[in-house]
Amino acid sequence: MSDEVLATPGVRKWRAPGFALALPAWAWFVLFFVLPVGFVILLSFGAKPDIFRPYSLEVLSFDQYAKALDPAYGPTLKNTLRVGITGTIACLVIALPFAYWLAVRVPPRWRGLLLGLVLVPFWTNFLVRTIGWQLIISPDGIASSVLQQLGIISQPLNFLYSRSAVLLGVVYNYLPLMILPLFVAFDRLDPTLREASKDLGASRFRTFTQVTLPLAMPGVVAGLALVFIPLMGDYITAEVLGGAKGNMLGQLIASQFLSAQNWPLGAAMAVLLMLSITVTGLLFALIGVTVRSALRRRRRIVIDTGEVAA
Amino acid sequence: MSNDDGLRILASTEATQRLSRRSFLAGATVTAVAGTTLIAGCGSSDTAPSAGAGSSAGPIEDQLNMYTWGEYDSPKVLKEFTASVGPKLQVDSYNSNEEMVNKLVATKGTSGYDLVVPTGPFIPQMVANDLLEPMDLTRLPNFSNVDSVYLGQTWDPNNEHSVPKAWGTTGYAYDTTKIDREMTTWQDFLDVASTTASGQVSILDSPDNVVGLYLWAKNIDWMTTDMTLLDEAQDYLVNTLAPHVKKFESYPGSNGMPQGSFWLVHAWNGDARQGILSSDDQDRWKWVLPTPRTEIWMDNWCIPKGAPNPNAAYAWIDYVLDPGVSLKELSYIGYHTAIKGIEPAAKEAGLDRLDIVFFTPEQVATMEAGELNDAQQKRVDIWNAMKAAAGR
Repeated sequence: MSDEVLATPGVRKWRAPGFALALPAWAWFVLFFVLPVGFVILLSFGAKPDIFRPYSLEVLSFDQYAKALDPAYGPTLKNTLRVGITGTIACLVIALPFAYWLAVRVPPRWRGLLLGLVLVPFWTNFLVRTIGWQLIISPDGIASSVLQQLGIISQPLNFLYSRSAVLLGVVYNYLPLMILPLFVAFDRLDPTLREASKDLGASRFRTFTQVTLPLAMPGVVAGLALVFIPLMGDYITAEVLGGAKGNMLGQLIASQFLSAQNWPLGAAMAVLLMLSITVTGLLFALIGVTVRSALRRRRRIVIDTGEVAA
Repeated sequence: MSNDDGLRILASTEATQRLSRRSFLAGATVTAVAGTTLIAGCGSSDTAPSAGAGSSAGPIEDQLNMYTWGEYDSPKVLKEFTASVGPKLQVDSYNSNEEMVNKLVATKGTSGYDLVVPTGPFIPQMVANDLLEPMDLTRLPNFSNVDSVYLGQTWDPNNEHSVPKAWGTTGYAYDTTKIDREMTTWQDFLDVASTTASGQVSILDSPDNVVGLYLWAKNIDWMTTDMTLLDEAQDYLVNTLAPHVKKFESYPGSNGMPQGSFWLVHAWNGDARQGILSSDDQDRWKWVLPTPRTEIWMDNWCIPKGAPNPNAAYAWIDYVLDPGVSLKELSYIGYHTAIKGIEPAAKEAGLDRLDIVFFTPEQVATMEAGELNDAQQKRVDIWNAMKAAAGR
């Protein structure tokens, strides 16, 4: 190419700049993230003039934030954080051994099939799957009659429309999102590393906690984020299974937009939800980093060059 | 209702001038029950707008998008309409007038809906905000089947934008196998909800009804704009009642009642009837039209601005105004459909549980209609706060 340039002096060959490749991604980012989120943030400073106008941006103020921070909504935020954190941890606890087993223990020829089975629930609509659970756990549902016939409970099952029902629903709905990144992380580990660990005298448990798990950490973090973030904003699961007790912020926001027709208040709540997700995420990241660096310091191996030389 | 006047009458505007402004709905059934045509023909047929009538008519489109209350048309009638008239139906449902108004406002004439079913008091403001098309009554040959006592209501004196769809009331039903006491009043509801039935109660997911629950129990006009009373209502609903609520549900009859999820349900009469009829053990449920006061509402067919299939909408309204079709609708939805002679016809057909559909003049006298007033936002705020507090 340089020959060519030299051969025709004065004529510069035009080359598309490198960032052109990223243009579609940028367009997507601006159109589907920056603009809508920006509008929601703008809306949150607006006001609701009357019932036939969902919002007005004539006067901007923090009024909606004051309303959204009303102590009345405290229980809903607490519920949401509780379901979000417990649900994410439950998904991790269930998915971790399963993903490890699938990636390491299962013969490779079965892996594809099993992984496919993990994805089977996604073939059906999210809402329909959740309503399925409503039918199963309702007082006259299958779970109730089986438990009654086994003599485990004497009254019809009183589980639907509770916080625990929401927890069951979110673990069911979000589990595959935890399994997949964990599986990929475990699958990519070089088996020879585990062998080396064993050869050097580490027990199985030690190999898992000190070799496998630290290397799979990016997968764990990805899984936590993939589950926690959408779960915090979920309102379908809580709407279908939660009743009045298991309410979540997502429902409150949806009802501001759909029923109460107070868009600015809904927007302020949405911004606060995003902030609380970010803060919770950062808090856990901070804990994670602190624990990791503490562990590293404890396990640091100092190689004394003088001794090696001797 | 502040100016309570013993007997109230549902009559056309000329007649209402002699009556108090808000006494419109009641006596409806007074005449209906008496089975007379006492007020029939009172200024209805001459009110149809004539200009341009028929000019916009054309072939019936092959699609009809309806935005209505849940379980508000018989599935059989929907199917038969498509089979005999043609348009394919898409039916979406809402839980409250506020929700429907919001969707129409937000989409500014592009909602894609051809029919909406607002409750009376919402119509004037919907018209003022240019959300509704005028209703051309000349395109509805079956309009003459509507019992004239239901025409010319205060919200649309000449039926220029609306045609009556159905009317009903609010009450509750309870599971007698779980609640072992006689219940007759709203106060009974509140008492049982916070004791025996705690945690097993469903409440209508609609701001006006939530607030009405408390105000009716205290025998106060549910449309009061007195902020002291509304603050009292808020205090009770948020701090006392909310923790006992299992679910905010506008249609407990569709799933909750047959599933046995609730012991005590706050419900519109037709929905309670559907719930009772679809339960395995119907005798388990007892319906109560509570005293001392309750609601009367009337929903109306309206065509929203920018409806893509207006001809299909007219065809549908005309179709359901047929007495035979109307009886099928009533049999399913459990609400009075405002058609002449529908009550004797329903009795003759031996339909189930008509005690939840038709009410005596004495009962109707305890019912009062809602309105869209200055307390609207406050009622929405109370409802929000109560829903949030229920999760504690």
